[in-house]
Amino acid sequence: MANLRNRIILLVVLIAASIFALWPRSVSIRERNSAGVFHDTSFTRVPLKLGLDLKGGMHLALEVDDSKQAVANKSEAIDRALKVVRNRIDEFGVAEPVVQKVGSDRIIVELPGVTDPERARSLVERSAFLQFQITDKTGAFDKAIPRIDQILKSAGHTAAAAPSATPGADTGGRSAITSLFSPADSDRAKKDSSSADSAGADTGLLAGTTGGAFSSLIQPGQMPGEYFVADENVPRVTQYLALPAVRAALPPGKTIHWGQPDTEGPDVTALYVVDTKPIITGEYLHEAKPGTDPIEGNIVQFTLTTEGGRRFRQETSRHIGDYMAIVLDDRVMGRPPVIQSAIGTRGQITMRGQPLQKTQDLALVLNAGALPVPLKVVESRQIGASLGQDSIRDGIRAGILGVALVVLIMVGYYRFSGVLAVAALTLYLLFTLAVLAGFSATLTLPGIAGLVLSIGMAVDANVLIFERIREELVRGKTVRTSIDEGFKHALPAIIDSNVSTILTALVLYQFGTGPIKGFAVTLIAGICASMVSAIFVVRTFYILWLQRTHRPQTLSI
Amino acid sequence: MFRILHDTKIDFIQYWKITTAITLLFVVPGLILLAFSGYRYSIEFTGGTLMQISFKQAPDVAKIRSTIAEAGIPSAEIAQFGAPNEFVIRAQNPDAVAEQAQGSEAVKEEISAALTREFGQNSFEIISSGTVSPKVGGELRQKAALAVIISFFITLGYLAYRFEWRFGLASVIATSHDILATLVFIRYLHLEISLIVVGGVLTMIGYSLNDTIIIFDRVREDLRKKRKESLKDTLNRAVNETLPRSVLTHATTAATLIALAILGGPVIRPFALVMIFGVVTGTFSSIYVAPVILLWIEHRWPRKAGERGLMGGGAALSSETGRSASSRKERSVAATR
Repeated sequence: MANLRNRIILLVVLIAASIFALWPRSVSIRERNSAGVFHDTSFTRVPLKLGLDLKGGMHLALEVDDSKQAVANKSEAIDRALKVVRNRIDEFGVAEPVVQKVGSDRIIVELPGVTDPERARSLVERSAFLQFQITDKTGAFDKAIPRIDQILKSAGHTAAAAPSATPGADTGGRSAITSLFSPADSDRAKKDSSSADSAGADTGLLAGTTGGAFSSLIQPGQMPGEYFVADENVPRVTQYLALPAVRAALPPGKTIHWGQPDTEGPDVTALYVVDTKPIITGEYLHEAKPGTDPIEGNIVQFTLTTEGGRRFRQETSRHIGDYMAIVLDDRVMGRPPVIQSAIGTRGQITMRGQPLQKTQDLALVLNAGALPVPLKVVESRQIGASLGQDSIRDGIRAGILGVALVVLIMVGYYRFSGVLAVAALTLYLLFTLAVLAGFSATLTLPGIAGLVLSIGMAVDANVLIFERIREELVRGKTVRTSIDEGFKHALPAIIDSNVSTILTALVLYQFGTGPIKGFAVTLIAGICASMVSAIFVVRTFYILWLQRTHRPQTLSI
Repeated sequence: MFRILHDTKIDFIQYWKITTAITLLFVVPGLILLAFSGYRYSIEFTGGTLMQISFKQAPDVAKIRSTIAEAGIPSAEIAQFGAPNEFVIRAQNPDAVAEQAQGSEAVKEEISAALTREFGQNSFEIISSGTVSPKVGGELRQKAALAVIISFFITLGYLAYRFEWRFGLASVIATSHDILATLVFIRYLHLEISLIVVGGVLTMIGYSLNDTIIIFDRVREDLRKKRKESLKDTLNRAVNETLPRSVLTHATTAATLIALAILGGPVIRPFALVMIFGVVTGTFSSIYVAPVILLWIEHRWPRKAGERGLMGGGAALSSETGRSASSRKERSVAATR
C-alpha cells in the first residue's frame, strides 16, 4: 500500500505544482533610473498571455538611431536588426510576437498583452554590444583633470555655481547631454543653476576638495583608471564630459565609461577610464546563461567561441596584473577583476544585486547577439485584437464542442473507465498549460485549436490501454490481472510512438525558427503530459478503485 | 461491454494493387498541377500592405471587417490602434505578391474605396501606408523542410534500434507518402499556406507516424509468438487486432476536427481541413503503405540466416532458416533469465 500512497503523494505534488505555475502573481522590482533614483515598479504577471489575435497588446515602431552613428545602408542594417530583435523577444518561439519591417527603414514590434512596457522597450532598444577593455594604468586621466577644470572655468562653470540636477528629476542623464550640444541650451542651464545650488555645496563636502568644477566632483578609486562620483553628481559629470571642449581634452586612445549603479553599497557610482581598443568583443560570444554565485549574487556566465577563446587567452596573457572592464553598451558591468593569469573561453558578468529578471534578460540579449545598428522607439501604442469578436467566439465554441464530443465518445464507449480517462484528460490539460506557462507561452486562437486537437489525440494512449485490458478480460483473466497486463502490453507501443514523435519535435526545435520552435515546445509538452496522465494517473485511479471495491468481479470498460 | 470491430479477419493487404493505384491517381496529377501553378501564401509569408487609418467618428469594428471582407480582400487583419477611432490594417492580394513587394498600392486603393462606399466620403483619413515584410523569416520554410528530413533519419535510427531497420524504413516511407499526399491535397483545395497550415502538416506527420508504429508494435509482438504464418498474415493480423483502437482514436480526433472545421471560423478551418485529411491519409498509409513497403523490403532484402532479428523474434519473418535462428535466440534469452 506504500506504493499507492506514494502515487497519490506524487499526483498531489504534480497537481499543486501545475496550479502554482498557473497562479497569477504580482512581482515588484526595485530599480534605479538613469538619474540614479530608486523607484518601485510593480506588475501582475499572469503566466499565460492571450495572443495579439485575441487580446491585442503593445505596438512599438523602431527606427535606426542616427544620432549615435551614421548608418550607410539602412535597409540592410534593418534586415539584420530584425532577426536579432526577433530572437530576443521570442526565445522559445512561443511568445507569438509580430516583428516586421515596414517600408525600408522601420521595424514594428507587436507584443501580446505586455504588462511591463519598459522591459519590452529595453529588450528591443538595447544594443547589447559587449566588449572587454583594459582599465587605464598610465594615469592619463589624472593629468587631464586640471585641464578640464580650466576649460570649465573659462566656460563659466565653477564648483559652487555649477548647474545642478536635482536627484529625481527626469531630465538627468541623456536629455541633459543632448541639451548641451547647442550653446543656447547651455546658457539656459547656467541660468537655472543660480536658483538651485544647494546640491553643489553638498558635493563639495563629499569630495573633500575644493577648486576645479570637475575635480571637486570626482574621487580616485582603488584601482588604476577607477574614479567615484556621488550619485547626485552623476548627471552633472555626464554633462561636463559631453562638452565638446572637454571631450577634446580627454587623453587620446582612452574611453570613459560609467560603472553600474550599485544598489547596496555607498551612494557613489564608479567611472572608469579604459583603453579604447577592446581586447575582444561580443562577436566571439558562443553562449550566455543566467546563474547565481554565492558571493557575487546574480551573474551571467558566458563561453566564447574557440577562435574567441584563443584570442582572449593571448590578450589576457599580455595583460597579467591589469584590470579588465567588461563593458556592455558603454557601461562597465561589475567591478573590473584583476587578470591573474591567461583566461580561456569562460567568464562571467556580475550583476551587482540586480534582480533575476534582469540577469535573464541580459543572457537573452547576449545570446541573440548585438544589434548591428542602434535603434530607438519612435512610437509606442496599445493595439487591439486582430480578430473579430465573432471569430473568437466561433473558435471557442468549436473548441468546447470538440472536447464535449471526445468526452461523449470516451464515456459512451468505455463507461466507468471512460470517466477515469476523462478525469485524467482534465489533468492532462492542466499539466500542458502549466508547462506552457513555464515557457511564458502565449495562447492564440490557432494555439487553442491545437490544444483541442491534442485532447482528441491524447486519448490514444488511454484507448490503447483500455483495448488491451479488454483483450485480457475476454481471455478470462481476473479484473486485477487484466488491468496489470493491459498496462504492461500497451506500454511499448505508447513509448515507441511517443518517443519517435518527441525526437521529431526535438529536431524541429533545434533546426526550426520562431513559430516552428514554438510548435515543437507545445508538442513535447503535450506528449509528456499525455503520457503522464494516461500511464500514471489512470493507473493510480484504477489502483484506488481496486482498493475500495473488494475483489471486483467485473470492470466497466 | 460494447465492442466494435473486434476479432475481424479482413485481408487488408490483398487490395494493395488497388490502393497503390488510388495513391498514384491522387498524387501524380497534384504534383503536375503544382509544377505548373504553385501555392498561394498567406500574408505571414508574403508580407503586404500596412495602412493606418483614422475615422472621424469611432466606427463599429465588426462593420469594418465585414466591409473589407466583402470587398474581396480575404484574411485582412484589422486591429484597433491606440484610440477607438484609429485602426491598423494589414492586407495582401495573394495573386499579386510580386507587385506588392515592389510597393504596389492596389490593395490600399481597394480598401479605401470599399470603406468610402460604406462609411461615406471624408469619413476617414489614411494616415500612413507602406509595404510590410513577412511576419515569418524567409528561412522558415527551408528550415522546416530541413528539420523534417533530419527527423526522418533520427526516426529511422530510433526504429532501427527499437524494431529493426526494415520497419524504420517502411515507417519513414509511409510518412513521406502522407506528407506528399497532404501537400497535394492543400493544392487541390487551393488553401492558402499560412503558419497554422504548416502547423497542421507537422501535426499530421506525428499523427501518421504514431499510427504506423502502433501497428508495427503489434507485428513485433505477434512475431515473437512465432506462429507458423507468413509475414503477410502477421501484418494482416496486426492491422485487425489494432482495428478497435484505430477506430476509437480516429473517431475522437476526427470529432474534434470536424467541430473545428464546421464551427471554427475562417482562421481555424484550413488547419482542421488539413488535419482531417491527415487522419485519413495517416490511417490509409499505416494499413496500405507501411505494411506493403515492409513486405517489399523483406522481399528485396531477405533476412539472412543468423541475422540479428527483431527483438529476438524478427528472424522468423519469412524463411524456415530464419525461424530456427530465432528460436535459438529465444532459448538463449530464456537461459539468461
